[in-house]
Amino acid sequence: MTKRLVQGNEAVMLGAVKAGASFFAGYPISPSSEILAQASVYAAHHPEFRFIQEEDEIASANAILGGSLAGAKSFTATSGPGFSLMQEAIGYGHKVGIPCVIVNVMRVGPATGMPTMPGQGDLNQARYGSTGDYTSIVFYPSTVAECYEYTIHAFNAAEESRSPVILMSDAFLGHLNEVADLDTIDVPVVPRTLQPLASGGERLFSGVATYPDGEPATADADEFIRQYYESRDHRLKVAERYNFHEYGWNKDSDTLVVAFGITRRIAQPLAAHFALFRPIRIWPTLDKELTEIAARYKKIIVIEGSDGQYANVVERMLLRRVERVPLLGGRMSLEAIREGLDAIGMLPAEPAPAASRAAASR
Amino acid sequence: MAVKDKLKTDLFPTIWCPGCGIGLIMQQLAAVMDELGLDKNNTVLITGIGCTGRMGAYMNFESVYTLHGRTLPVAEAVKLVRPELNVIVVSGDGDTASIGGNHLLHTIRRNANVTVVCNNNEIYGLTGGQTGPTTPKGTSTISSPAGAGYSPINLQGLVNTNPNAYYAKTTVYHQGPMRKAIKEAIQWPGFAFVDVASQCIENNGRRIGFASANDMLQNYRTEYKAAPPGSTRLESHQLGIVKGSPVPTPASGSAKSEGDLATSSPAATKSSRNGE
Repeated sequence: MTKRLVQGNEAVMLGAVKAGASFFAGYPISPSSEILAQASVYAAHHPEFRFIQEEDEIASANAILGGSLAGAKSFTATSGPGFSLMQEAIGYGHKVGIPCVIVNVMRVGPATGMPTMPGQGDLNQARYGSTGDYTSIVFYPSTVAECYEYTIHAFNAAEESRSPVILMSDAFLGHLNEVADLDTIDVPVVPRTLQPLASGGERLFSGVATYPDGEPATADADEFIRQYYESRDHRLKVAERYNFHEYGWNKDSDTLVVAFGITRRIAQPLAAHFALFRPIRIWPTLDKELTEIAARYKKIIVIEGSDGQYANVVERMLLRRVERVPLLGGRMSLEAIREGLDAIGMLPAEPAPAASRAAASR
Repeated sequence: MAVKDKLKTDLFPTIWCPGCGIGLIMQQLAAVMDELGLDKNNTVLITGIGCTGRMGAYMNFESVYTLHGRTLPVAEAVKLVRPELNVIVVSGDGDTASIGGNHLLHTIRRNANVTVVCNNNEIYGLTGGQTGPTTPKGTSTISSPAGAGYSPINLQGLVNTNPNAYYAKTTVYHQGPMRKAIKEAIQWPGFAFVDVASQCIENNGRRIGFASANDMLQNYRTEYKAAPPGSTRLESHQLGIVKGSPVPTPASGSAKSEGDLATSSPAATKSSRNGE
């Protein structure tokens, strides 16, 4: 039991090891690179843990598919541009049913964007980034300790759902140093669910639509639909067991703030004024939980590091209008939130304590 | 001998066009696998998108039919996690050298201990006959009606940037040399590449003036000549093998000395760099 300073990215690496990961493939990209570096250091001291620095993120994502098929719990870590390059392989993992974990430490996009600034603009990409229909499971922690905890859950969910699971983080959370005692976090580890390659079978792992015997099923709608619903229903069922969320702050307020990841931390000084709903499982959305809670509130404000990606989801889910506070350009701060609330006429009358401290310090 | 045991003959006839060269490669690969005792417990096939990629479905091994161009990252990862396995990549020239070109470059550089058998038909066959990275300059294709504008990629030169790699050039007509090359490549400790000239009559051959697949095979017979013994560089239309200096591979299951692959110990990262 030791409390110590832990960085968010480091906590992800430690969580992966705790979950039984034994293969990392990656490519350097801010603000995720510490995970790559620490995986290389860990591999240097643990020969059973395999590590490769790839030529690009396309190779990284395909390598963890291969590593997982070969028998290792496998993961990679990246940020926006690299996450874009991984999308085809993520779709392959969903089609074939390969457990693996992709950590996306979000920065500001699109394109190279603002490499060291935090953003939350990859939510839609995490859900819809690859071609075709598939069912993504995505978690997004808010603290360093949670980075550790939900990395373990991500590996567990990947095994149970037989699919690539995404762990979201962001430039602030990834680089945040917090005192944590990770030893006190006890998440049971789900063992491997996929029989490794060369186990005496004759399986064909194919991104092409095939029948169970390996023959192409590239023009058979019935077979496609059967396989699609089978994997979708299985993944939705698994996701139900991981319906992580937080409901708190001032529940008697008439306004519900929806915020997740680092934004929930930044908005903490507003706790006296609003109720809070924080989805930790970002995808599939927490329809049952949020619908029930939202019904108690007159107004809903979604505060997020994108121009309404999650607000749109909430609006569609609840079939009611929500207020939006988008935090763009990496300007993710309490001041920016207060300005955003002011712009929609919802800034609480009393200044929050942290804000007055900030003002006084100027 | 039970070459047939390596093949899923109940799925025959294959999906490949009559006269296709891929079956001639599969036949020799199956024979070599039988000869070397490769089976479902010690060998994995990694195949890429294109006609050639279907080979995994017809062989009695576990196989991964990867995304287009991504055989090598998958293969290298499988070998890294399970060094005791034989990892054999079977794919076409477009998959390997064009869309997968960056992976090819770096898998060669890292001297990954995988075997690549490349069905080089100098065309994108599955999509109907477009210019590929290996199409000879001037060849008329459906995406280069006035003739392909550029020289083909130099696969031999790429492979030989790694002084520890194995490169062989052969054709589907030259079954004996092809078999020898595939066998040596599988046994090679490090990156091995077998570049097999192979005919695509349906989506290339007829357009460039061949009447039949047999005409294309006869063309290989007359046009390809064995390179002089000891050649360190093969000329165009020369059959031969260019071997680098083999780097010893680790014992089965060892993570420590997979050449450049496993930076699993500080010592491993310092030793056995390319060029040693």
